[in-house]
Amino acid sequence: MMFGSAAEMTETQSPEWITEMIGFMRDLDKELTEAGEMVFNEGLQDGDSAKVVRLVDGVPVATDGPFAESKESLIGFWVLDVADEARILEIAGRIVKYSGLVEVRPVGVAPDVA
Amino acid sequence: MIEDLLRELAPQVLAILVRKYDRFDACEDAVQEALLAASQQWPAAGVPDSPRSWLVTVASRRLVDEWRSESARSRREEAVATLEVEPGATEQRDDTLTLLFLCCHPELSVPSQLALTLRAVGGLTTAEIAAAFLVPEPTMAQRISRAKKSLRGARFELPPPAELPDRLRVVLHVLYLVFNEGYAASSGERAHRADLTAEAIRLVRLVHAQVPADGEVAGLLALMLLTEARRAARTDADGLLVPLAAQDRTRWDSQLIDEGVGLISRTLGRGPVGPYQLQAAIAAVHDEAATAAATDWPQILALYDVLTRVSPGPVVTLNRAVAVAMVHGPLAGLAELGTLDGDERIARGHRLDAVRAHLLELSGDRAGAVAAYRRAAKRAASIPEQHYLALQAARLS
Repeated sequence: MMFGSAAEMTETQSPEWITEMIGFMRDLDKELTEAGEMVFNEGLQDGDSAKVVRLVDGVPVATDGPFAESKESLIGFWVLDVADEARILEIAGRIVKYSGLVEVRPVGVAPDVA
Repeated sequence: MIEDLLRELAPQVLAILVRKYDRFDACEDAVQEALLAASQQWPAAGVPDSPRSWLVTVASRRLVDEWRSESARSRREEAVATLEVEPGATEQRDDTLTLLFLCCHPELSVPSQLALTLRAVGGLTTAEIAAAFLVPEPTMAQRISRAKKSLRGARFELPPPAELPDRLRVVLHVLYLVFNEGYAASSGERAHRADLTAEAIRLVRLVHAQVPADGEVAGLLALMLLTEARRAARTDADGLLVPLAAQDRTRWDSQLIDEGVGLISRTLGRGPVGPYQLQAAIAAVHDEAATAAATDWPQILALYDVLTRVSPGPVVTLNRAVAVAMVHGPLAGLAELGTLDGDERIARGHRLDAVRAHLLELSGDRAGAVAAYRRAAKRAASIPEQHYLALQAARLS
């Protein structure tokens, strides 16, 4: 999970850096796909486009986001199938050069049948 | 190409079955299975002498098998009764068009119309359609299945003459949306999905062949050809979007341009003018300019003036503002944009701010342009567009 803000990026980074970032993301997705590690990935629209749904007196109410600090909202994610933790941390280490924060977590597993 | 042949035959086979058995949803399933069987068997066994009869036979067998297993006697009797009522006096009917009218039935939602058209008329598989619209296959299967259920009572025949023009508009709009989905890719990573634009052009060609005298059908076909012609130049080597003015025009497809320009030139002035003809004419003026600087902007503005009268709307106003800026200067263009500020239909999206940013930059207001590019980047739903707008903001700040 990659956190950050596209809007903030345009305020602080040069066109060269942005071009480099776009190239990096494209090459990374290609690499992960070719290695058979990519399950699914998406880039998200800016946190400003979020709507938040809360229960208010038992009724779902939708309000316009962003609800958290918009400089660090979720802006993209990958679901990857990798050999071990070392590999996922290596990939995350490359992504974080272009993003505010990267969080890595295993997906939930099914309960034991026996 | 076996795949091309199957796509061409798909609507014909479906029409034959629906006329015979009058159950659109079951017939459509059976045709899909026959197409699948053909795509598995023909590559090894060779294409049969009469591929259409082969498909009709296989699909009919599937239908009968299904009815037997359902042991739905009443339905079989119904089918027999239908056969007797319609003694094949329908050869003159325009099957593909009838199918299109059915798939673009006004009672269906727009996403359903798109999906059903691509499957029943385009011969695409559910998996292909799901991939094109970036949704999981079961989701698309559910959408198609719901759409077919709502059509159960609909008859396989052309709409009454009085309704024809309106129903044809719906068909054209659906095909326009298919093209646009492929060209602009409303969401997701890729800037362009060639499979959808090619399919939309193929389907409009089919309609054009059926109603060659309809100016709007010809106009839509010309518009698609003239837009598709610029595809290769629309993204650079890094996959970034390139605006029209900066495109390498040697990479435009001159064959498509010739065909589109020829078509729209023959069409304009022969009947009532409509929005697709006018948009095609505008695209033709762009495509005929050897350089961006050589663009005949007064001509484009004149066409937008007519378009505003024929088919006014916020997108037309937005595009016209660019033409106004190119003819009368950026401040005049910005004044035009001011009329859109309160318009909910466009103020929420990124396009108004993107155009405003461009015009502010032309007027020399760098700070204003940066702010507008940033606002546009935040709102862009397509990641390539978001990147393009972010780059413009960064370039100026």
